[in-house]
Amino acid sequence: MNITEILFWFLSALALTGALMMVTGKNPVYSVLWLIVVFFAISGHYILLNAQFLAIVNLIVYAGAIMVLFLFVIMLMNLNADNEPQKNKWLKFAGLIAGGSLLLILVGALRQSDALRTQALQTGGEIGLIHHLGKVLFTDYVLPFELTSILFLSAIVGAVVIGKKGD
Amino acid sequence: MNLILFSAIWGVGMMLGGLFIKNRSAAKNMALLGALLLTSGNLLELNGFAVFKSDFNGMLDYNRFGLLYLTVLSVALIFYFLLSGKEIEAVGKHPFEYFALLFFVMSGVGLVALFNNLLVLFLGIEIISIPLYILTGSDKRNLKSNEAALKYFLMGAFSTGIFLLGIAFLYGGSGSFRLQDLMLQQGDQYIVLLLIGVVLLLISLSFKVSAAPFHFWTPDVYDGAPTVFTSFMATIVKAAFFIGFLKVFSGAFSGLSENWRPSFTIIIVLTLLIGNITAVYQQSVKRMLAYSSIAQAGFMLFSVYASNDLAEQSLLLYAAAYCLSTIGLFAVLIKMNDYTFEGFNGLAKKEPLLAFVASVCVFSLAGIPLTAGFFAKFYVLSAAMKSGANLWLVIFAVIMAAVSVYYYFRIIAAMYFKEGGEQVLVTTPVYKWALMLVVVLILLLGVIPESALLNWLVLY
Repeated sequence: MNITEILFWFLSALALTGALMMVTGKNPVYSVLWLIVVFFAISGHYILLNAQFLAIVNLIVYAGAIMVLFLFVIMLMNLNADNEPQKNKWLKFAGLIAGGSLLLILVGALRQSDALRTQALQTGGEIGLIHHLGKVLFTDYVLPFELTSILFLSAIVGAVVIGKKGD
Repeated sequence: MNLILFSAIWGVGMMLGGLFIKNRSAAKNMALLGALLLTSGNLLELNGFAVFKSDFNGMLDYNRFGLLYLTVLSVALIFYFLLSGKEIEAVGKHPFEYFALLFFVMSGVGLVALFNNLLVLFLGIEIISIPLYILTGSDKRNLKSNEAALKYFLMGAFSTGIFLLGIAFLYGGSGSFRLQDLMLQQGDQYIVLLLIGVVLLLISLSFKVSAAPFHFWTPDVYDGAPTVFTSFMATIVKAAFFIGFLKVFSGAFSGLSENWRPSFTIIIVLTLLIGNITAVYQQSVKRMLAYSSIAQAGFMLFSVYASNDLAEQSLLLYAAAYCLSTIGLFAVLIKMNDYTFEGFNGLAKKEPLLAFVASVCVFSLAGIPLTAGFFAKFYVLSAAMKSGANLWLVIFAVIMAAVSVYYYFRIIAAMYFKEGGEQVLVTTPVYKWALMLVVVLILLLGVIPESALLNWLVLY
């Protein structure tokens, strides 16, 4: 086992533990903190995959900005462990079966991943660098990149329409 | 590309117009001008005059079907603005912003109709969805509107997540976002990854077009949203999602059709059954139309199911028939004070024209001959037959269409055979002329669908 594999298994275990603790945790603030652990572990995976820029952006945007938003919402809504509504038992059961079926299919598909291993890392180590990303964004993917501005503009207009005082 | 470009620019223009133009009622006229601009720009592109001819490295595909479909939708937008512009202004304090959001939605519609790359499809779907969440909740004082917006937003965000997961699997299996590269055959190496992608895309697109069992948001959202925006969501937006659906499944996944058709059959049967049977029990016309839009989606799913040469024609005709009829019926409904079936009582005596228009729209939705709905249903079902669908599936659809006659005709029965209360409807001459024009178009499509619309697909 070389260092990459050790890191991979460590980060995977960390991500899974964090995700499970986040879902099962009773206290929402603890859940948010576990979610941060998940984000850090996934960023570590991105670095292992040679996607340094993505790793940094993931940390800045998710672990930074979005987490703060989450914490604000939780604090403003004053959620506690005891006022969490009790869900219907049958509903939980149905959810378990539906989610479990999807998991089964995904696991079944990923059993093929042995075959995929040969395909990885053919593209070279430069692919995740910001230099390469910028070049691709402004040549091959220039249309989606520009179209995103319409999406953001409509979200901004929407925020103003919903949030403006006085009506 | 003309339509995408013009609608984005006009959306920005409307947004700035709200800043400088103090006359509120100017918004409607400006929007109408924009809709005319979209339609003419799109017609020009259909005849070869495009601002941008580039396909941006295979991101877009300017095929005739997509452009013609966009023409139909932009004509529907003109009628929508003509008939309901006043009500959009009356929703709240920001008329220019509502119109701006509607124009942004139209640019998303353009993307969904012309995409050739899953990234562009994703952006198009999001550009359609995010303004719609806002418009659903634009009646801020109304709790039902707030609830609908929140529900729509949460469920929509979830389905977006599923969509992205599907794209990720497809990328993992094929290494590309382009539709042509996703075109796969049985026995490819990474077939399982692709099949998972297909299933996830099927789920999230079914959610977007409100097919059962992913329809639970539809009645609440359509009922809670301001009625003008319900009209927009149920017609233009739904038709737009369908062309995206068809392009993905016929453009990329047709080689795998024996894998996804069984689940698709179940979705169609459930959608037709739940939509039609539940609509029978509704007391509010608005809620009934929400369920009827689910039922109509069941019919449009047939053309996605078929994915053959008839599929494009049938979806085009169905979208035209469905959009025109539903916009016409909603335009009459918006003028009512009472949205229950009783609200329609005795309308024929007071407003014979409105009652007549509503009847023609209802006939078309139910699929009565001589109206557009009949040929639309006919083409959709024959496309399914041609693709080798089970005969029982088609017979089931016809029976369900017969069920739909019951709840549609309750409106006609209320208008013509019952004595009504004393309600006064405020109408303008422009409104009445536009309604007449809708009726003329519905009848035209119902008598000569080929020369009125379908031949344009193959002409030139």
